[in-house]
Amino acid sequence: MSTPPLRRGTRIGTQWLSFRFDGRSYPAQAGDTAASALLANGVRLMGRSVKYRRRRGLLGAGPEEPNALFNVGEQPQLIPNVQATLLLLREGMSLASQNRWPSLRVDLASLLQAGGGLFSAGFYYKTFIWPSWRTYESLIRRLAGLGAAPLDCALPHVAIEHLACDVLVTGAGPAGLAAARAAARAGARVVICESEPVCGGELEFEGGHIDGQTAAAWLVRTLAELESLGARILTSTTVITDNGGEFIAHAEPGGLPGHNTMYRIRPRAMVLAAGALERPIVFCNNDRPGVMLLGAAERYLTRYGTQVGRELVLFANHDRVYASAQRLAAGGMAVRAIVDTRGADALMTGSAAHVLRDSLVAAGVECLAAHAVISANGGSGVRAVRVAPLHGGPPRKIRCDTILVSGGWSPALHGGFHGGAARAYAPPLDSFVAATSTETRRHAGSANGCLELGAALADGHAAGARAAADAKATGHAGVAPQGNGDPSPRLQAFARSPAAPAAERRQFIDLQNDVTVADLRVALAEGFSDIEHVKRYTTLGIGTEQGRSSAVLGAAVLAELKGESLAAVGVSRSRPPYQPVTLRSIAGFHVGDAVMVSRRTPLNDWHVAHGGMLEPMGLWMRPRYYSANGANPFDAAIAEARQVRTAGGIVDGSTLGKLEVAGPDAAAFLDFIYLSKASTMRVGRSKYMVNLREDGMVLDDGLVLRLADDRFLATTGSGHGTHMLSHFEHYRALHWSGRGVTVTDVTEAWAVIVAAGPRCRDALLQVLDTAWQAPIGRLGHMDFADGSHAGQALRVLRASFSGELAFELHCRPAGAVALWEALLAAGLAAYGLEAVDILRVEKGYLTGSELNGQTTPFDLGMAALVKQGNDCLGRALLDRPAFHEATRPRLVGLRACDGRSRFLAGAQLTTAAAPDRPQGFVTSSVYSPTLDQWLGLALLARNQAEGTQLMARDPLRGSDVAVHVVAPVHFDPASERMKG
Amino acid sequence: MRQLPCPFCGARELREFVFHKTLPAAASATADASADEFARTYLRVADPQLSVEHWQHVHGCRAWLLVRRNPSTGAVLAVQMLSGTAP
Repeated sequence: MSTPPLRRGTRIGTQWLSFRFDGRSYPAQAGDTAASALLANGVRLMGRSVKYRRRRGLLGAGPEEPNALFNVGEQPQLIPNVQATLLLLREGMSLASQNRWPSLRVDLASLLQAGGGLFSAGFYYKTFIWPSWRTYESLIRRLAGLGAAPLDCALPHVAIEHLACDVLVTGAGPAGLAAARAAARAGARVVICESEPVCGGELEFEGGHIDGQTAAAWLVRTLAELESLGARILTSTTVITDNGGEFIAHAEPGGLPGHNTMYRIRPRAMVLAAGALERPIVFCNNDRPGVMLLGAAERYLTRYGTQVGRELVLFANHDRVYASAQRLAAGGMAVRAIVDTRGADALMTGSAAHVLRDSLVAAGVECLAAHAVISANGGSGVRAVRVAPLHGGPPRKIRCDTILVSGGWSPALHGGFHGGAARAYAPPLDSFVAATSTETRRHAGSANGCLELGAALADGHAAGARAAADAKATGHAGVAPQGNGDPSPRLQAFARSPAAPAAERRQFIDLQNDVTVADLRVALAEGFSDIEHVKRYTTLGIGTEQGRSSAVLGAAVLAELKGESLAAVGVSRSRPPYQPVTLRSIAGFHVGDAVMVSRRTPLNDWHVAHGGMLEPMGLWMRPRYYSANGANPFDAAIAEARQVRTAGGIVDGSTLGKLEVAGPDAAAFLDFIYLSKASTMRVGRSKYMVNLREDGMVLDDGLVLRLADDRFLATTGSGHGTHMLSHFEHYRALHWSGRGVTVTDVTEAWAVIVAAGPRCRDALLQVLDTAWQAPIGRLGHMDFADGSHAGQALRVLRASFSGELAFELHCRPAGAVALWEALLAAGLAAYGLEAVDILRVEKGYLTGSELNGQTTPFDLGMAALVKQGNDCLGRALLDRPAFHEATRPRLVGLRACDGRSRFLAGAQLTTAAAPDRPQGFVTSSVYSPTLDQWLGLALLARNQAEGTQLMARDPLRGSDVAVHVVAPVHFDPASERMKG
Repeated sequence: MRQLPCPFCGARELREFVFHKTLPAAASATADASADEFARTYLRVADPQLSVEHWQHVHGCRAWLLVRRNPSTGAVLAVQMLSGTAP
């Protein structure tokens, strides 16, 4: 590979490196972006469009780039959708274009283009609905564009830094630097975020003088002064969103995810001086490779010494095009013509632009006034341009390979937008500026409509000084820098060239999403008139583009089509983040085990060491089964459940929520919280109670123990402990403030071991201190006793959720393992949650699935509890007639008619008469080793009587099983085992 | 992240708080207590300028709070401890 001549630019060095693009190797200079290097190598075709697969090249040179998005690297760690304009090349880097198959030059899907307006606005909504979207989804997804998702992620953790400061300045252009300098001089702690790798903004291109120095010299001095005043300058760092007073800034050096930093900055005051983005003008085939923003061409030349083309035609609606033309010509490119949409009298006699034009004309540049570019010719790249007078006259062709277009500048108001700041139309810009500044959020420079250097400096200084004062800095900001640079652009509103109706299909507004003028017409014709509706219907400004190049342009075209002013149409809102951010950066360190905290019981280590297979329940980890008891969860659970029924077992119940409610008003408080009365219990007794939400639905169930006259222990479901604590605290605050009731979470103060089965009483008598002999023998069903064991507090509660004789041992966490191991030694075996479910369903106890927030106590067979007449929370709404209709669900039991078929939770229950209308569904199902068949609990319409035969239909898992309805209690209905 | 001024802890990040519910814009008062309860629970009218809400400072002092907000602007108008007497 022969080395091309060395380019010189402000951002590149002289060392060579090589990179690959779509399999070919190219040379680049250190500091090149993918865009500048490819351009320098004569590569203009950089991707295809997402919908029509039209060939696309570069539009811009920065974050506004909608076309040149690359996949970087190789699977499995490929990084998709990287903007070529921001991607700093490194040796050996491998890039690939997107939206094409099999290759960029030959793309099969582009044949779709032959169908003309196949994918017009609303096409997906209108076309793929019969029989359903799902029919087409996989095909469409394969054709859909943008990058490939990485299969793996080896990116390092993002660094996260929290910053508090007095004044945050977004943007280090003239306005931002003036603001930062004023604020820092006034004594404010200043942080500056600049998305470019270097500061200066437009000073990089525009000449001009500030305070008697060249702009470049002023920039160097100002940065040094800011540094000496302690200002923190963050380059390659973009403020991506305003998160309610905290600004999130993302640093991605080199434009590629890797060593990223997320800054969370909480300033006392903010100056938004993020500058403006140039917008194009719409004409036919304005998406061809070779149609580029005027400012982008200047950037490629200044920064990278890259010429964007050989023969240029410039198309603009303002004065600045003439200065640009002169600089580009000086850079070695041939300017064939300047097409100005304004009349010949637009240039003021004697103005700088006028003088420049005359000299350009003298140098042989054709300057056309009141003309417009009508279309670009050439498929894979511009070969010529057709221009026409705006006020009648035939079009003619001008040969060129590049069309540089500039339709004005749209302030980058992203931070303000996301904070909900209002926008106001600014006629000099034909765009929108921030309507209001607040004490904490001020706008400066372009965001205030100041496009001239002097005005931007003065505006920035004033905003910085005020922001410092808002932040209570007391120093003196000094005098504003005086600057003079390019004069006002004297822009005249012009968004799109005239076109025949058929040509509007090739007048592109949003290049990333392939939205044309024709699409906007369709949207209007179909009644989508508001700019936000048009955005959603046509996809204008969605995706990573977020309207950076298209939002104001789209609004202006819509205004034209509607015959309204741009001010009246307004502009759509962009969404955060302002710049695409990899999920890795957003996730931070919340990946893998750190996604969520988990809670472990005091017995956790024992479970893990003895084959306990953990599963989450809420935040808790609990053993589902023990691997020693079977090769799979099913077999293990059956063995464990059988062991409990035949001999005895122990299960870790420490995850039960435990709330201690105490005080003289504790009983009255619980009477309000729970459906049945706590106040009538005697000390030493416990009771199964449920509580309701205020709408009458069952919230949770559990046992309540009366520890003393003024002290209760309420247990909650394992997954509900923290929620129930909040629930108790909520109603205590709402109705019991200043009264005698306290709520204390004692969940982790007690480990709970549940011993169940015919031999469990013997095991307890063998294991516990001898003082327990008498109480254990005495305890009736639902009684408990307090005492101690091995020198530590122990509470023994006789209660059962298995249908067997069972005791809950509430002990201190430190003694839990010793007690657990002693019980094992006494002949009991550990069982897990799967076995718990089997035992509960056999006995008709709720498993948790039935408390789904849609069931009342009547639905769950608890009418008796309601009759106790408590005026508790949620009670008032239980009398609603709708809760008593015949179609309300009722808890029932199910068994397979053939006594052996399997049916699963989630299956829908239907009658033979109406096979498509579910009457209810299976909430829990287990295989019962005791009864040797599948058993279920279900919520079934009340008008389906016991004995009815139904089908349990489970089309997703492909089973239809005939079942009959039985009472929910499948085993030992008289409860002789647990009460005996 | 937005902050909420907890009367007990001062301005703290929103992530420490949990939203519970929005109170009905206007409390009805008819002779039928059940109808009132029904209206309070189900027939809520949203006021775009004022939302009165219950929040809890769960990952802080655990206080329950009565928060008045303007949902249109996101401005927090007032935060006070939730307190009341028996129903």
